[in-house]
Amino acid sequence: MNPVLPWYIAGPMIGLIVPALLILRQKQFGMSSSFNFLLGQLLPKNDSFKSARTTSNWQFHFGLGIIAAALVSINFISPEDLIIPDLALHGDYLLEPVYRTENALIFLFSGILLGFGARYANGCTAGNCIMGVSQFSVSSIIATVAFFVAGAITAQFINPFIF
Amino acid sequence: MLKFIITLVLGFLFGAVLIASEAFSWYRIQEMFYFESFHMYGLLFSAIETSAIFVFIFKRKEVKSIYGEKVTVTEKQTGWKRSVLGGLIFGVGWAISGACTAPIYVLVGFKWEIGLLLFAGALLGTYLYSLVASKIEKK
Repeated sequence: MNPVLPWYIAGPMIGLIVPALLILRQKQFGMSSSFNFLLGQLLPKNDSFKSARTTSNWQFHFGLGIIAAALVSINFISPEDLIIPDLALHGDYLLEPVYRTENALIFLFSGILLGFGARYANGCTAGNCIMGVSQFSVSSIIATVAFFVAGAITAQFINPFIF
Repeated sequence: MLKFIITLVLGFLFGAVLIASEAFSWYRIQEMFYFESFHMYGLLFSAIETSAIFVFIFKRKEVKSIYGEKVTVTEKQTGWKRSVLGGLIFGVGWAISGACTAPIYVLVGFKWEIGLLLFAGALLGTYLYSLVASKIEKK
């Protein structure tokens, strides 16, 4: 097992991204619009993604920074290190390597739900849970509760059958 | 160019924290949704709290960005129906994939076979939403 960065250090560091983006980039934290930016690049004639080509390019650049961090991390951490033995009491599927090509369709399908749901709810975990809730935005608080209700039900009652 | 580098560096730092805290991990998300550990809740609550302190200051005091303009924060007003329905769909995707948007970017670098599938799915989902957006958003 790798030493895990404790939440009381990781959480505040994530929270500091919000003022850092506002002061250094005048941008409100959010990640899912990066998909709109990319669709704007891939489908230049589609009007739905026209505005994102200029307003959301920074989110894609931010994503490139995340990918760079992940490429560095491969040297220190492997997918097997992420397994949590204590989860065994909820089912053996929780101990298996999950990032396998057999699960390709499951991941593709869940990606569709993430992309669709993020636009429908006007933001993902970054934009709603962190940026929105820290402003006490009612919409974002409702979205966050919905994320967790659907997430807990799906993880406990659907995942055991599909993994 | 400076803006690009700033954004890239902030993304790198954010990614590094998501990886070091395992917040991008499918197993951590399952653990969170089984309420087995405080790790992810502590992480999210302390992130929100830290962010809220700064947002509170920015709303009340005039704080200038490095470009000399006042930092402004606008609130999302999505409407409860979209927040609930979109939130439920997103929540299902979050639990199955064990990832939300930023972790998808992590997985692109960490395990590209899976990361790119999730990425392609998210692009497709975003596109599919654009086809029905006018029906949903006019309400």
